[in-house]
Order: sequence, then structure tokens, then C-alpha cells
Amino acid sequence: MTPAIELENVSKYFGKFPAVDSLSLTVPQGVVYGLLGPNGAGKTTTIRMIMNITAADSGEILVLGSPMTRQMQNRIGYLPEERGLYRKMKVLDHLFFLAAIKEVPAETARQRIAEWADRLELKPWLKKKVDELSKGMQQKVQFIATIIHDPEVLILDEPFSGLDPINTAIIKEYLAEFRKKGKTIVFSTHVLEQAEKLCDEICLLARSKKVLEGNLRDLKRRFSKDLLHLLVECRPEEIAALPGVASSQAVNGGYVVALAPGTDQREFLRHAMDCHPLRGFSAKEPELEEIYLDAIRAAGIEETRTIE
Amino acid sequence: MSWKKIFAVIRREYLERVRTKAFWIATFLVPVFFLGYMAVQFAAIRKTSGERKVAVVDTTGKLAPALATELASREEAMKQKKPGSRGIHWIVEPRPVTGDMEKTKETLRKEVLDKKIYGYLVLDPELIEKDRAEYYSISVSEFVALTQLEQAINKVLLRQKIQDRGLPASLGKELERRVDLKTLKVTTKGTAEEKGAGIIAAIVFMVIMYMTFFMYGFQNLRGVIEEKTNRIVELVIASVRPTELMVGKIVGIGLVGLTQYMIWSLVAMNLSLPGIASIMAMGESGAPTIPLSMIGYFLLFFLLGYFLYASVYTAIGAPFNSDQEAQQLSMIPSMLIVGGMAVYPSVMNNPNGPVAVAASLFPFTAPLIMYLRTAIAEPPVWQIGLCIVILILSTIGMAWLAGRIYRVGILMYGKKPTLPEILRWVRYRPGKVLQPATPPAR
Repeated sequence: MTPAIELENVSKYFGKFPAVDSLSLTVPQGVVYGLLGPNGAGKTTTIRMIMNITAADSGEILVLGSPMTRQMQNRIGYLPEERGLYRKMKVLDHLFFLAAIKEVPAETARQRIAEWADRLELKPWLKKKVDELSKGMQQKVQFIATIIHDPEVLILDEPFSGLDPINTAIIKEYLAEFRKKGKTIVFSTHVLEQAEKLCDEICLLARSKKVLEGNLRDLKRRFSKDLLHLLVECRPEEIAALPGVASSQAVNGGYVVALAPGTDQREFLRHAMDCHPLRGFSAKEPELEEIYLDAIRAAGIEETRTIE
Repeated sequence: MSWKKIFAVIRREYLERVRTKAFWIATFLVPVFFLGYMAVQFAAIRKTSGERKVAVVDTTGKLAPALATELASREEAMKQKKPGSRGIHWIVEPRPVTGDMEKTKETLRKEVLDKKIYGYLVLDPELIEKDRAEYYSISVSEFVALTQLEQAINKVLLRQKIQDRGLPASLGKELERRVDLKTLKVTTKGTAEEKGAGIIAAIVFMVIMYMTFFMYGFQNLRGVIEEKTNRIVELVIASVRPTELMVGKIVGIGLVGLTQYMIWSLVAMNLSLPGIASIMAMGESGAPTIPLSMIGYFLLFFLLGYFLYASVYTAIGAPFNSDQEAQQLSMIPSMLIVGGMAVYPSVMNNPNGPVAVAASLFPFTAPLIMYLRTAIAEPPVWQIGLCIVILILSTIGMAWLAGRIYRVGILMYGKKPTLPEILRWVRYRPGKVLQPATPPAR
């Protein structure tokens, strides 16, 4: 299957400063793809180049197997980071306008607006001016705008920024449903916990460069450091004294133990059970944040900015 | 270019503007103000009325009674010509010289200041010898009143001179007769009597065009900036190309302007524009006919000028984040529009002179000036043609320039860009977006 989005050696310079530096990535169809990295890593520029809002200086960008053309524009739903609405327009008129510039026939637009307004509880607001809506309501309007033309690919730049927990939940639900239909979602965020919960695939950016890309589960396996979470009651020295323990850290109700390279997990657990009353254990996966920090360390990029 | 998308933008721009209260208020207030202003102006000039008590110090001893009679008979004639009209009622009060002339003047000066008399007139043989008479008053700028007085004095003097030479009084009547200069405009279709109303209508139309260049040109600038500050522009740009958005916006706003004209002309037709125009034609009676070509040229030059100025205003609005930031640069088109108005008097004087020709070929003054020339004179056809070609070419050039600034500018937030930066955007050529990937040169 043709990838939903393909970037090949794409660069963009603002003056002498590289905003995106020879970036290559592949977004397969039907996945939730996270474009991650701190502010200023080049996420928005990458997305704008995919949307052909900003032109790349070099490289090739393919969307659904072809360059971003006018027809392609109508098959993609885009939610920019800088998003707003015409403040004096009535909500219904506004949605019709946004549908019209995606060349959605008026009748289809009418049905979809009705459907979504119903689901997002926006119906009583349709005749109101955008100005009179709360920020959360306006965001709902913007989300409807991105899907009014039933796109195949959704590209969302920081979709959760400024959303309250209730609306975040609504949007997540709608993304899940979208994905169930086999559509592709690309979104950027600087909040790694969110990405961890939502993404199938990720691309980590730092300092305009790609640091890491791939399936999240594979990455976790790859970056796993043989960490074990032990539920046990004993003193820290006793844990540290167990054979094969490289380091250990007390956590709630037990310890997270890193095994020395080459240690057999089963051997270690058998031994631990013999010595101490072990109530339970689990393999502890590395968190995305740790993967990220490891990856940039490995890539030799000195990241001075802290990640949220 | 997707016309469907451009149409959607035009529709939005048009409907959202026409639906505002501001549009309707402007639609009805502009003509009200305009006509009100004109009416006040003309009323002030034409309808000077009331009592004017004037003391006359007549050292010739013969003129004052004759002047009183003359002024009274003029008033009578006026009343017969236009019954019910209120003109100036002159009361002539002859005064002897008490003591010397200076003392008399001093007394009268006090009376004027005390408002006992409106003014005083000195008719002295020595002055008259030098073709002078002196009128003293607080208000010496009443055009109509002073003209009446002057004409009356001259008439009286003429009669006096004829009488002094012993010539028949009928000669006086004969000498008082004047001719009226009737202006007839030569056109390719023959000659037509020009009553002045046509010229005034042309000027009124030009002023309307001038105002709408400001109003609607500036709305483009506001609109562009508003989309930026609202942060809506990127959402729209994901569906519509910047050029399409720009074209849609300019056309949509232009249609709002045309709608306003339509409403104005409908109202004017019903409220009888001829009546209004004839007031403005300074009492010339009869309805002026506004030739169809005048309206045709009006629409043509309005559209050409509007597209040119709209492009300029768009280019100026795009780089900035607020009206304030754009203010400095928006002075440029404003000055250019005013420039057209500034040369119009000299074009009126010599509609086919060098100033007129130059101003009607310079694109930024051309719409106003060429329009005026087509209305008041018959400019050579090649000049009209050349003017239209120049306007179309410069509009295309300006739109191209605006488009280049626009597509970069609308996504620029934050710092106010400098002029060199904006010029760099014009030259900016993005790397071929879709060129095949090449390994990075390191």
C-alpha cells in the first residue's frame, strides 16, 4: 500500500537557520503517527511543508503517493497550530464556508454539519456568532472543519493544546473512531505522555533533525533495558545484594531493578523468590521520555531545552 | 485556479459585509452627508437673506437716493420672478458728513460694532474718480450680498454719468444690457447644450469614486489583517491557494461597492436626482440629462481603479499584524488617491492640456482624471485606449506583486517586518518543491 505521507530528504531554511534538516519519514496508511519533539524542533514547519503552505527548499514530499496538488488538498484534513475563526460569522455559515472551500457539495455539508453538531453538542450554537462561543466551543467548530470533507488523512498540529480535559477526551474519542475507519492521523505534540497513549508510530525530532522513527512498540522493545518491577518488602541493601542487579530504585510498594547485561531474567527471578517474599513482578517498559533522552544522547545532539 | 473555491471566498466576503449594520449605515449616511453638505454650501451662497441696514455717506449728493431705489426695484423684480423667495432686504440710510469724514466714519464704526447698522458705504467723488467705493462691515465675505450691492452701485453710477452728459436715459437702458455666455459642448455626436449640471454631476461622480477608492481599498487592507489576527488564515490556506483567497477577497469587496452604487442610484432615481442636480447647478432650471456614457465610463474606471488600489492595499496589509503597523505604509495609496483629486481643478480648466494628459496616463491618478475628462471633454480615443491599457497592465503588475507579498506575509506573525524584508519576499523563490530527492551535499 502506498504510504499516506512520504518525505525524502526534505530541508527548509529560514535564512541560514535550518528549520528542517534533510528529514525523511514514512507514514503508513491507517496508523496514528506522532510527530514529536520540543518546541522549535521543526514539527510545524514539517507539517506546513506537507500541506504545501510553506515550500520546501529541497527534497520530495508525497501525499498518498503523489505531490500535494489541489485534488490532494481536498482529501486531507488539516488543523493548524495557529487556528482561529472569522469572529463575526455565524457558526453555521462558517462551517458551510469551510466546507465550500473544500468543494463539498452543499447538501452533503448540511448533513455532516448536522451530524457533527449533534454529536459535539454544538446544535444550540449554530445560529450564534463565533464571537459568542467559548474557546472550547470554537475548538469544536475547528475540529468539524477539519473533517467536514471526510478526508483520508488528518494532519493535526498540536491538537490538544488549549483543550480542557473534557474536550480532550471528546477529540481522542473521535480520533479513535477515525482510525477505526482505516484512516491515517498525523499529529504533532510536545507532550510525550499523550503521544505514548495514542500513537502507533512516532518520529522524534530535535534541533531540526530526525532522531528516531518507528513503531512505538518496537522502539520500546529496542530501548528496553531489562527493567523489572518487583513487588517486595525488604531493605534496599538486600535488593542490591542480589546477584545480577546493576542498579535498583525504590518505587511505591517495591523496586525497579535494572539487570546487568547478560543476566538471565528467569534465573534472577527464581533467586529473588527464594530469598524474599515476592508478591509480584512485571517487566517494566521504558517510557517514551527515556527513549527520547537516550536517542538524542546517542545521536550526539546536545539538547539543552527540557522536554515537558 | 479553482473557481468553485474563489466563488466560495467571494460569497463569504460579500455576504458577511453586506449583512453588517455598518454597510447599511454607510449606504444611507454617505448620501445624506454628501447632499447635506452640498445643500448647506449652496444654501449659504444662494439664499443669503434678511435685512441689511446700510448707512451711506454720499458726498456726491446724488447717488444715495438712486441706490436706494435701485436696490428696492431689484428686490421687487426678484419677488416677481420667484414669488415667495426670501432675498436680502436692503435699507439705505443716507448720512451727512458731520464734522470731517474721519469723525463720521468713527461714529459709523461704533454703530456697526453696536449692531445698529449692518455696514456703511462711502461714495466719495475722489474715490469714484479712482473707480472705487468703500464698504465697511463686520462681514465682508457675503458673496451674494456684496455682488448685489456692487451691481447696484455701478448701475446707478452709469445712469448718473449718462444724465451728467445730457444723453437720453434710454441709452442707459441700452448700455445695461448684457449677454449670457451659453456653453455648448462639442461632441462627436454633434453639439449639445451644456447647462453646467452635467459637469457638476461629473464632479459628484468623481468625488464618489474617490471616496469609494478609499473606503473599499482600505477594506482590503483591514480584511487581510483581520484574517491574520484572527488566526483563521492558515485554516483557509489549507484549502485555498493564497492567490485564490486574495482574488476572492478583492472581488467580493468590489461587489459590495457596486451594490452600494446600485442602491444609491436607485434611491437617487426615486428621489429625483435631477432636482438635486439642478439645485447644484446654481439655479439653472430644467433636469440635467446624465448621458449613459458617463455611467459606463464611471463603472469602467471605478473597476479599473478599484482593482489597482485593492492590490496595493492588500500588499500593504499582508505583512503586518495590526492596522497601526500598516498605517505608515497605507499613507502611500492614500496620497496617490488624493493626488488625483489635487490635480482635478487644473484638469477642469484645460481638460486636454498637458497636466490632464499626464495625470490620465499615470496609473494611480488615471481612473479619476480620465473619468473626469471623458465627462467634460472629448479626450482623443487613443488616450482613452492607452489609459485603459496602462491601467490593466499596472493592475496585473500590482496584483502579481501583492500576491507575492501576500503568500509570505499572511503567515508571518510577530515582529513587524521591515521594508527590505518585504522586498525580499517579493524576490523569494522557493526551491522547487517537488524536485526529486537528492542526497544532501555535505
